[in-house]
Amino acid sequence: MRILFERTGGFAGLKLKAALDEETLPSAQARRLRKLLEESHFFDLPLRLEALTARPDRFQYRLTVENDNCIHTVQASEDAVPPEMRPLLDWLTATARQQK
Amino acid sequence: MPASFIIPTYILQSIIVNGDKRQQAMAWATLTSSEQFRGERKILTVLAPLASTATGTKRRTVYDARHGYSLPGRLVRGERDRKSKDVAVNEAYDGCGATFDFYFRVFGRRSIDARGFRLDSTVHYGMNYDNAFWNGRQMVYGDGDGEIFRRFTVALDVIGHELTHGVTQCEADLDYRDQPGALNESFSDVFGSLVKQYKRRQSVEEADWLIGKGLFMPGIKAKGIRSLKEPGTAYDDPLLGKDPQPGHMRDYVRTSDDNGGVHINSGIPNRAFYGLASRLRGHAWEKAGQIWYRALCEKLHTHSTFADALNMTARAAGELYGLNSLEQKATREAWAEVGL
Repeated sequence: MRILFERTGGFAGLKLKAALDEETLPSAQARRLRKLLEESHFFDLPLRLEALTARPDRFQYRLTVENDNCIHTVQASEDAVPPEMRPLLDWLTATARQQK
Repeated sequence: MPASFIIPTYILQSIIVNGDKRQQAMAWATLTSSEQFRGERKILTVLAPLASTATGTKRRTVYDARHGYSLPGRLVRGERDRKSKDVAVNEAYDGCGATFDFYFRVFGRRSIDARGFRLDSTVHYGMNYDNAFWNGRQMVYGDGDGEIFRRFTVALDVIGHELTHGVTQCEADLDYRDQPGALNESFSDVFGSLVKQYKRRQSVEEADWLIGKGLFMPGIKAKGIRSLKEPGTAYDDPLLGKDPQPGHMRDYVRTSDDNGGVHINSGIPNRAFYGLASRLRGHAWEKAGQIWYRALCEKLHTHSTFADALNMTARAAGELYGLNSLEQKATREAWAEVGL
């Protein structure tokens, strides 16, 4: 499983990116990632999660997950993120920071 | 015509110094209303230091999200409550106060909606959250990640920036994407910076013209997040990369990120404002700020572009200071300098 994570926008307008490969992740981290993906029902989420009007200084997320047999991309503005997806985004944000 | 218009200026001044709270507020509102404003602009500067008691109804509340994502969170400080032990709570409270005072004393505006809207802030939002935002109803501040960013209440211009998003929403209501979005961002940076300059009584030359100074952890190679004076020079750091802001139309960035690069292309109108302020000298809020504020409140609209901002600030300058006045010419020059 491979993951591309990107966060843009926010007050500072800084881009945060990470590319993860399950095979190269420590096993504890890989398990955590799988669990977070399941709990957020990632593969059932729509392609776009957007609020009616764009809100100032909020983050924009783009997340692509490539599994054995499928690939799915979700583009989400922060204020439209469902609560179940939050822990996943928090984890990816922290991981992306460490990758820098 | 309201009766207040016939009260002579010197009496209004006296009320501001000697009246009770309600009278002071009324006198300020009169003195700073646009009709009386044109002839009496100097008074603002003369009186500003005296006016520490003359405020409108300022109502602030600060909430604590306790690192969660629910808003507003638990109420921790209301207007006139004692100081908190929590520095972020006090910074949000004081920063809101300074921003309210700026809008009231410089523009005669009572709060975000000009009708005394209660100013709600939430601190400690989210986990290692490196952001601050206005959600349409309130301000929200994260604590930063502790590696790159510190808590976002640390910089007064950030608080002024967020509150100004509320003002913009009530006035021009600039659409938050592409050029209108970059203008929206720019107005927040401009007035955010002016809140700080006004608080410190700094002239154009004395001000740092930086947004988010002090927001970065030690060791990060950054003066701030954005520079209005020299867009593109705020930071250059291995972790952050280089400040991508353009200061001229030829470098306008076309991107789908960040609602069309609203935090990037805001560098262009930011520099136009600095260009105007530096031509007019003195305190930037006295003339340049008045021109920009008038354009925001009376001229611009949801779909306004940079070219509209040029035309409308020039028109505002003409109305405030006269056709072909030095101020109007300086406004056009400042935009020409950034390629408009």
